[in-house]
Amino acid sequence: MSLLEFARGPAIHWSLVILVAGIIWRLLGVLVLTRGADLSRPRDAFGNFKGYRTVFSRAWPNGEFTTATRYQTIMAYLFHFATLIVVVGITPHIEFIESLTGASWPALPNALGVAIGTIALISLIALIGRRISKPEIYCSNLGDYITWVLIAAPLLTGLMTFAHIGPRYETMLAIHILSVAVLFVWFPFSKLMHAFWFVFSRAQSGLAYAHKGVRI
Amino acid sequence: MSTQVTTAGVFPSFEQVFQGFASQIGMLRQMAPKPTLTDEVRVQRAIDTLIAETNADEAVWLESCIHCGQCTTACHYFQAMGDSKYAPMRKMELYRRIYQREIGPFRWWYKLITRPIKLKDLEELQELVYDSCSECGRCTMVCPMGIDTASLVHHQRSALVAAELVPAELAALRQEQKQMGTVFGSSAEALLKMVATIREQCGVEIPVDKPAAEVMVLSSAVDLVGNGNGLLATARVMNHLGVDWTICSDGFESANFGLLSGDMSLWRKQVEPIVAAAQRIGAKTLVIAECGHAYPALRWNPMLKSDALPFDMVYMSEYLGRMAKAGRLKLTPIEGKFTYHDPCKTGRRGGAFDEPRAVLKAMDADFVELPSNKEYNWCCGGGAGIFLLERATKLRDESFKIKLNQVNATGASTVVVSCASCRLNFEAGRVKNHWDKEVASLVELVADHLIDQPAAAGTTPRQGVSA
Amino acid sequence: MARDSTLGELLRSQGVSRRAFLKFCTTTASVMALPASLVPAMADALEQAKRPSVIWLSFQECTGCTEALTRSHAPTLEGLIFDFISLDYHHTLQAASGRAAEEAREEAMREHAGQYLLLVDGSIPTVKAYSTIAGISNLDMLKDSAANAAAVIAVGTCAAYGGLPMAAPNPTSAVSVSDIVSDKPIINIPGCPPIPLAMTGVIAHYLTLGTLPALDHLGRPQAFFGENIHDRCYRRPFYDRGLFAETFDDEGARKGWCLYKLGCKGPVAYNACAHVKWNQGVSFPIQSGHGCIGCSEPGFWDAGGIYESIARGQFGTGPQIATAALVGAAAGAGAALLARSKKEKKAAAHAASE
Repeated sequence: MSLLEFARGPAIHWSLVILVAGIIWRLLGVLVLTRGADLSRPRDAFGNFKGYRTVFSRAWPNGEFTTATRYQTIMAYLFHFATLIVVVGITPHIEFIESLTGASWPALPNALGVAIGTIALISLIALIGRRISKPEIYCSNLGDYITWVLIAAPLLTGLMTFAHIGPRYETMLAIHILSVAVLFVWFPFSKLMHAFWFVFSRAQSGLAYAHKGVRI
Repeated sequence: MSTQVTTAGVFPSFEQVFQGFASQIGMLRQMAPKPTLTDEVRVQRAIDTLIAETNADEAVWLESCIHCGQCTTACHYFQAMGDSKYAPMRKMELYRRIYQREIGPFRWWYKLITRPIKLKDLEELQELVYDSCSECGRCTMVCPMGIDTASLVHHQRSALVAAELVPAELAALRQEQKQMGTVFGSSAEALLKMVATIREQCGVEIPVDKPAAEVMVLSSAVDLVGNGNGLLATARVMNHLGVDWTICSDGFESANFGLLSGDMSLWRKQVEPIVAAAQRIGAKTLVIAECGHAYPALRWNPMLKSDALPFDMVYMSEYLGRMAKAGRLKLTPIEGKFTYHDPCKTGRRGGAFDEPRAVLKAMDADFVELPSNKEYNWCCGGGAGIFLLERATKLRDESFKIKLNQVNATGASTVVVSCASCRLNFEAGRVKNHWDKEVASLVELVADHLIDQPAAAGTTPRQGVSA
Repeated sequence: MARDSTLGELLRSQGVSRRAFLKFCTTTASVMALPASLVPAMADALEQAKRPSVIWLSFQECTGCTEALTRSHAPTLEGLIFDFISLDYHHTLQAASGRAAEEAREEAMREHAGQYLLLVDGSIPTVKAYSTIAGISNLDMLKDSAANAAAVIAVGTCAAYGGLPMAAPNPTSAVSVSDIVSDKPIINIPGCPPIPLAMTGVIAHYLTLGTLPALDHLGRPQAFFGENIHDRCYRRPFYDRGLFAETFDDEGARKGWCLYKLGCKGPVAYNACAHVKWNQGVSFPIQSGHGCIGCSEPGFWDAGGIYESIARGQFGTGPQIATAALVGAAAGAGAALLARSKKEKKAAAHAASE
């Protein structure tokens, strides 16, 4: 079995299995825990529902904190959006998703995919640069660094594969797919789960504050 | 025309109150109880407490931190000290480890690969959840994941209570309140004595222990053993309003050292008599004295089913504001430029922003907001019992400078506060920094600017002539 | 034609001029990526070359490799080279049959022991009964014949890597030549079929230099298999611009856009089709509108469908992922429910101790 066959076959297959099982295990394992009720009377009868808006409003820090958070917020969004666009926008990825789910959509021109992928990688490097240069603020642990590496690897190897630079294409493609497989296996056990948690963590505090009549 | 306050010399100035308290607080350290249990038991009790208190909410928050570092930008302790250990994120690390090992979805794995908890871990936690977190909630305002660090800290205090690791001064006061029901030597007798003094020296009537009343008012140890002006001002305002009010000698203490120390069974023990008294007298409104943490102890505590209670619980500034908006507070205009410091527990963590501002408006105050105000204001640094901790002096002093600069930036000559803990902390900061600003209490300010009017029962003429 | 005449004599007897001969040497050298300075030496060597004995064994094969070689040209010098070698044994082309053919093979092996070239096409079943010639299994015949060969050339993907017979479920337990022979130099010339020039080029190289050409990690001559179809494909600009044919009949197909989405394996196929092409350079599959099937790569029959693009997953994952989701859900909910009861016990114990 060649490296590419291994990567496209058992590697990505089992990593997807672990990804799905792990995510659902972790989500349910937390969400099925007890919910303490807040027995105090809310300030206003509709307050609770207004709290849900923080799921969206927290997407951008309040003006009070702009100066301190602006750079990081912009870099992080640049990275997230660029990565998302590349993941769902280039032809080979759409082919992969279609083979899994049947859904497909028009693809980006390849040059645009390379450009946006490069932006994603550069912003990711900017973020790690900041993390390393300000350790007292970030309190980084091993998980933060591993996550960075496992996110950067598919980006970098994907760019190299897509642009046909570096080792032979089938080798580079195999490495790219393997790097994605490793990322999938890591995902459910890491802080990357914030992709799901943010909805709940924001809603919870949004409700708690709205209960008291405080807008966030 | 403002009423002449005839209390000159009757009660000490707040500066004197502060000094009196400072020396009392200094003695608390020796009164702290010593640990009696073994290390293993203490650790296990802390872990068990966290297991019992951790719900899906806490679990989600513990899972959600992405180490983005933005909380450090909001925290006054971190900003003042620059030391990484004061980052709000750090306050979750031990809790997260315990949660992952005990009730997390992968706990069997974490039990294998993480170190077990030692007493030393809990001892190190003490500074993080007592000295350097006032549960002010400012970090939650900036956190992109919306993590409620303050409530996680609260649970950890609960765990440290079980582990006999409450800091000395808080432990002493907790013990006092547990055994005596009050703190700083306050008591029902002290209440009655103060009431008598106010009646005799100031000619102001305070109805105590009425069998039935519309409004039940709480006092606090600070007012009863130190700042008599506080109770006096409260009484004058209530009398001016002409409401049917009383103070109950079996439920008058706002301060709750159960909440402050994290001992939630003591919290309940302190709250129940108050609630019982209010129900007994058929009160419609419970007014909490200017004691910040009493608001989350009573009005907002999630374990107190206030929906089932027949009375409203309001904070003093909230009550005054409602009255001002209803036009029932007749106030004279006030001179000078003012700014307002929202106590964290009544503002950001309580939602009572508009009311104190309505009061200042009713006094035609030349009012300017702090640069960071309302839900974004900076904590004064002394809340959640931190004012009592000698070990936290540098933390308090340095973070207060942030507040000081904020007030200076407004150009106001007076900063109005509405919480005894804030006020003590402001006073300490004023003295230490030789600050030229005035610090005023909202209720005392209101009392000083009442337009005197004959009202219903309770008001007496001036100059100490008894009714 | 006497066995002992040289190539030079043969060519002269066929009326090939010295000039044409040198032109052939130059072309061959260039095709084999050999330096131009070698041309005189190559010409001399070829001039003097004695007819080498070549034994061609055909096992589980379709004869396509022979067809490609013999069909692919009008009389050319490649053809002459092919005529030049002493093809002492070849099922399709030989005149002899039966016992006489086998005897001819054995005699050639004896007479030219250590010098003859062994060409093999077709895969070898390891279950001997599945393919025999004159009662001898393919496996035994290969081992026997390779024992005294100078070198073995595995012609076509079946001989080089197992090819179609080895594709799942491999009913004959077929293997490639290099799975059986390990002590002789082996050159793989894969392709289904291989480009004829690749075969004759290798033979010419061997004849002139007496060595095997530079091989890649899969044993293929780099001169023909060192480049990606994708890199030489004339439709590459469309790939780069993201213009793909979605079906064989759409606008993109008619405009000659890239066939990646229709399963073209060009990016992972190494062969000379895109620049040498077929039928004397007339065309190759992509030019005719069909994606490359990667026929020169090991295991290409099992590497995903011919019309499935390289990016598509190769796993029957749907049901298994659904199962994974259910397992995860059960585990997670179970973990939480256990945690809840643990919580309740602790809370009850705490309340009792108060």
